[in-house]
Amino acid sequence: MIRYTLQRLALAVPTLLGIVILVFLLLHLAPGSPVTALGAESGRRVSARAAEEMRRLYGLDRPLPERFATWLVRVGRLDLGESFVDHRPVATRILEALPYTLLLNGLALLLTLGIAIPLGVAAGGHPEGSLDRVSGVVLFALYSLPSFWAALLLQTLFSVRLRWLPLYGVASDGTPSGWAGLSDRLEHLALPVVCLTYGSLAFFARLVRSGVAEARQHDFVLAARARGASPRRALWAHAFRNALLPLITLLGLMLPGLLSGSVIIERIFAWPGVGRLFFDSILARDYPVVLALSLLGAVATLVLTLTADLAYALADPRVRDGTEPR
Amino acid sequence: MTATPESGARGIRRGARLPVTGSVALAVVILLWLAALVSPLFARRAAEIRLEERLAAPSATHPFGTDDLGRDLFARVMVATPISLGIGLAAAAVSLLVGFAVGASAGYFGGAADLLLSRVMEVVLCFPVLFLLLALAAFLPPSPAAVILAIGLTSWPGDARYARAEVLKVKDLDYTRAARAAGASTPRILVRHLLPNVLPPLLVSAAFGVAWAILAEAALSFLGVGLPASTASWGGILAVAPTYIEEAWWMALFPGIALFLTVSAYNLLAEGLRSAVVERGSR
Repeated sequence: MIRYTLQRLALAVPTLLGIVILVFLLLHLAPGSPVTALGAESGRRVSARAAEEMRRLYGLDRPLPERFATWLVRVGRLDLGESFVDHRPVATRILEALPYTLLLNGLALLLTLGIAIPLGVAAGGHPEGSLDRVSGVVLFALYSLPSFWAALLLQTLFSVRLRWLPLYGVASDGTPSGWAGLSDRLEHLALPVVCLTYGSLAFFARLVRSGVAEARQHDFVLAARARGASPRRALWAHAFRNALLPLITLLGLMLPGLLSGSVIIERIFAWPGVGRLFFDSILARDYPVVLALSLLGAVATLVLTLTADLAYALADPRVRDGTEPR
Repeated sequence: MTATPESGARGIRRGARLPVTGSVALAVVILLWLAALVSPLFARRAAEIRLEERLAAPSATHPFGTDDLGRDLFARVMVATPISLGIGLAAAAVSLLVGFAVGASAGYFGGAADLLLSRVMEVVLCFPVLFLLLALAAFLPPSPAAVILAIGLTSWPGDARYARAEVLKVKDLDYTRAARAAGASTPRILVRHLLPNVLPPLLVSAAFGVAWAILAEAALSFLGVGLPASTASWGGILAVAPTYIEEAWWMALFPGIALFLTVSAYNLLAEGLRSAVVERGSR
C-alpha cells in the first residue's frame, strides 16, 4: 500500500507542474491584455505612455520565464496576488464567492447522489423492467438537455408565467430575517440547484444502473440469494457494493463538470459564486483571478482523484498489489 | 472482447447492426443535414429586418414567431443548422485527430512516452472543461475557426484515452507483429494496420464528441464568446432570449428544441454505434 501510495503521489507531481505551466501559458500567450481591456471598458483610448506605465506596474513588460518564476514563487507562498480590476487580494475575492458556489454545488451533489443511487440500483436490479425502461428514456433526455436552455424554460414557466419563484439572485431586497428569510433564500436556490443537478444526475444514475446490472449477474449474488439473503439485501449489500467501487473514482472527476456547469448557471441566475467570478474575470482579462481559479479548480480535481484512487486501492487489493483490476 | 483481423473496419458493415433507436437517430441526423442543405433558401428571410413586426408571436406567416428585430425565427433557426452541424463535425474531427495521435502513440510506444503522454491527458482532464474553453474562446478573435479549435483542443483527452486502450489491445496481435516483421515503418503500422482496427470504437467516441461539440458551441455563443453576433446560431439566438423572457417565450423555446433534438440524435446514434461495436466484438 505504501509503495502504491508513493507511486501515485510521484505521478501527481508532474501533473501538478503541467497544470501550472498550462494555466500560465494559456493566459500569457493570449492576445489582448488587461491594459487594452481596461481601455475598452472605460470607453477611452489609453495613451501609449499610460499603457506602457501600466504594463510596467503590473510587471507585464518582463520576459515570460521571469514572470513565470515570480508567479510560481508567490503561488508557493500561497500569495495569489491582487485583482487587476479592483486591486483587492485575489484570495479575498475567491473566498467571498466560494461559499455561494459550495452551497449550490453541495446541494446539487447531495441531490444527485440521493436520487441517482436508489434509482440506478432499482433500475439495474431489474434490467428491461418497466422502471428501467422509463427511467432510461428520461435520463437519456436529461443527459442531452442543454442546461442553459433548461434554465431559460424553467425561468419562463416558474418565474414569468406562474410567478412562483424568483427569476434570479440570491435573496430578495430587504430580506426578512428568520423563517421568512430562509424560505426566500430556498426559493432563490430552487431553480439553479435543479439546473445544476439534472445533468450529473443523468450521468451518474446511468453509471450506477449499468454497474448494478452487470454485478447482479455474478455468482456471488446468486450465492447470497441461495444462502437466504432477501432480494433487497442481495441487490444492495452484494451487487451494489461491488458496483460502488469503480463509481468512487468517478466522483473526483465529477468536480470539473460541476464547476463547468456553475459558470453557465451562475451567470443565468446572477449567482455571485466562483463560476461567475471566473466568467467576469475572463471578459475583463483579469489574469490573477483567472489564473488562481483555474489553478484551484484543477488542483482540487487532482487531489480528489488522487484520494479516490487511494481509497479504491485500500478497498481493492488487486490495485494496490499492481495486478490489474478485472 | 478480442479483436481479430476480420473484426476490423469491415466488420461493422458485415455483421453488426444498429439497434432500432440508433437507426431512428441516424434518420434524424440525416434529416437535419437535409435541412442544412436547403437552409440557404431561407437566408434572405432570416436577414430581413422588419421592426414593425418585432416580437410577433408564432403564426401562420411566422411559425416560430419573430425576434427582437422582427426577423423570422424559423428562417433563422434553419440558417443556423449547417453552422451548428458543421462546427460540431469539424470540432469532433480535430479532437479525434489529436486524440488518436496522442493516444495511439502512448499505447503503441509505451514506457516513458506513455507515462509522459498520459500525464498530458491527465493535466487537461483536471481542468473544468468550460474554464479552458472560455479562456481559449475569449482570447481568440470570434470566428467559426476559433470555436472549432477551442472545442477540439479541449475535448481530445477523451478520444485519446479510447485510442490508447484500443491500441493496447491490438498492438501485440499477430497481424501487427507480421507487419512489423515485414519491415513496415511505425507510422505505416499505426495508420495502415492499427487505425482501421481501432476505428469502430473511436467512431463511438467521435459521435459523442459531435454531440458535445454542438452543445459547447451553443454554450459559448450563448455566453457571448462563441460565434460573432452577426452569424446566426442557436446559442446566439438563445443569448438574446433572457432579455425578452417576459414577452417572447418563443425566442427561448424553438432554437432550444433544435439544439436539444440535434444533441439527442447524435448521443443516441453514438449509443447505437456502441452497442453495435460491443455486439461485433462479443461474437
